[in-house]
Amino acid sequence: MIETDSRPLISVRDLKVHFSLPSGSLFRRSRQVVQAVDGVSLDVFPGETLGLVGESGCGKTTLGRAVLRLIEPTAGQILFRGNDLAQLSNSAMRDERRHLQIIFQDPYASLNPRMTVSQIIGEPLETFRLARGRAKQERVQQLMEMVGLSARFLKRYPHEFSGGQRQRIGIARALAVDPAFIVADEPISALDVSIQAQIMNLLDSLRRQKQLTYLFISHDLRAIRHVSDRVAVMYLGRIVELADGKTVYNNPLMPYTKALISAVPVPDPKIEAKRLRIVLEGDVPSPINPPRGCRFHTRCPYAVEVCREIEPQLVQIKPNHLAACLRISPEEPDIDRVAPGCAPGLMTQSASSMA
Amino acid sequence: MMAGNNGNLLSVKDLRTYFETEDGTVKAVDGISFELRSGETLGIVGESGSGKSVANLSLMRLIPNPPGKIVSGSIMFDGRDVLKLSPREVRDIRGKRIAMIFQDPMTSLNPFMRVSKQLMEVTQLHLGHTRKQAREHAIKMLEHVGIPDARERVDSYPHEFSGGMRQRVMIAMALSCEPELLIADEPTTALDVTIQAQILELIKRLKAETGASVILITHDLGVVAGMTDHIIVMYAGKVFEQAVTTELFERPGNPYTRGLLRSVPDPTDEQGKLYQIPGLPPDLAHLPPGCPFAPRCERAEDICRQKFPPYVQLTSEHYSLCHFANEVFAESTETE
Repeated sequence: MIETDSRPLISVRDLKVHFSLPSGSLFRRSRQVVQAVDGVSLDVFPGETLGLVGESGCGKTTLGRAVLRLIEPTAGQILFRGNDLAQLSNSAMRDERRHLQIIFQDPYASLNPRMTVSQIIGEPLETFRLARGRAKQERVQQLMEMVGLSARFLKRYPHEFSGGQRQRIGIARALAVDPAFIVADEPISALDVSIQAQIMNLLDSLRRQKQLTYLFISHDLRAIRHVSDRVAVMYLGRIVELADGKTVYNNPLMPYTKALISAVPVPDPKIEAKRLRIVLEGDVPSPINPPRGCRFHTRCPYAVEVCREIEPQLVQIKPNHLAACLRISPEEPDIDRVAPGCAPGLMTQSASSMA
Repeated sequence: MMAGNNGNLLSVKDLRTYFETEDGTVKAVDGISFELRSGETLGIVGESGSGKSVANLSLMRLIPNPPGKIVSGSIMFDGRDVLKLSPREVRDIRGKRIAMIFQDPMTSLNPFMRVSKQLMEVTQLHLGHTRKQAREHAIKMLEHVGIPDARERVDSYPHEFSGGMRQRVMIAMALSCEPELLIADEPTTALDVTIQAQILELIKRLKAETGASVILITHDLGVVAGMTDHIIVMYAGKVFEQAVTTELFERPGNPYTRGLLRSVPDPTDEQGKLYQIPGLPPDLAHLPPGCPFAPRCERAEDICRQKFPPYVQLTSEHYSLCHFANEVFAESTETE
């Protein structure tokens, strides 16, 4: 995919997560399948933050959990340090979890209300037999200080903390086992603006200190742009655009990304007054029966006939900038300049599928 | 439609709403004053616990009592004090002349009632519509807010609509009687960005068409930047700053506002360490003496911790609650 010198820490290849729904009536059984994640390939490089952005229902959370096998993938590979996580036995996977941690969105639901902070942060140390007794207590205190919590709070329960402080507890718990890779699933969405900035800064400084690698999942484009080195945009179970954060934000190629970026309110009245907003019609279609062809064609102002038929693949349009759209190609990357009705991407698509 | 007093549709003076809790008296709203002119949009910005939603519920006299109580103040709406009206008179205003939309449409729509019935109730009650008139009006309103196939979908139940569509249904209901004031409390917080853009455009369009005034309550500075004429910033139940929208963003006169503005990542900017306001929002039952923001304020001095700050006028429509309002305002002007 994207060329860099280093080798990826995690490589996801053609990952699919399908859920079957019990459906139909008692007498007329039918089978419906939610294609939550449908053929995603991604590389996450050591030390980077890969942002994964998309609207609700696009499959970003499912993807994040499937990468850690908290949800079993239906198909595909997750390559981590020479292993395919998708193929590991449950016990082998449990050992790997030491290196792969997650921070959850809801700081109220993800901490056991009957455990003290010290028990919550200490639990992974016991599970993986990393420390006991005094050493464990010292490690817990050290972790609390690392995330900006006073060690005075050791014996307190989660309800005694604010949302931002709880999120710090969740981060300390994830860091307890010295992981290499952390999935941060909407870690700031439930927090107030002033607290969001604190948590973003904390995650960033921890990444530098401990050489962590993040998959940072959020629907908040401003936050994603701020914390991520590269950004992947997801729509209905597929990655539709991937490039470094600045490029995705300033020069999006694919029409969905364009609309998404233009919809983000900018905290500057002068810019807001001048902005042209692409307001998309309608809602995100159901992932149960996603549209044929390009999944975005039902809402896409640029869609032409072939978009209804052929599903575009994620291909390189510019150096280190991938997009899935039939109406653009490396020769004609600007969709607004492509002749009406033309789909130059068809050629690129067939060339890449042959290769 | 027009209000009598200096073009002000709404004028709130020294409003105080307190809650009695086991922990002591929580002064959720503590002496706020603001005005809203006809046809304008006012943004109320604040973090959770700042009192912005309680302020808004107070305007409609929807504070549950006990534990809550509006202890003082006046809310002049079109020349009459809402706080002095009888419950019956308030009910006549609520839903008809002042309408509200909330963050979560599911909590304000009855899940067991068809959308048609819920929409019809409003106009049957307030405008004296017959069933037939009300039904036609309901369909017209749904079309107006952009629900496709409104005639077919009007008899659906709320759960049969998506989140964005439900928010449209709620807006249709709120606007059924052509209210003079629409209060929107975090109307897009539960929605995705592309749907948020749709709803904000819709509110803008409907406001232009009906000439209604709007109060937009949100924590999102981006949303108020593009939507409002004036902004008030709330913290700990107080108005910390109020100004014309462009001026507030360009030249904040309060350290809290300035911190809030700087802590939102600017996507057009280079990355780097994000400015952060240290500490936590205050516990309203145990406010420190002096300025409630002082423990988190980067420029707090002894006086801030001892004495409650004055409400300083900076320009004709710009006020800031700060001992150093003039200095902060001057600094903002310099850096501009």
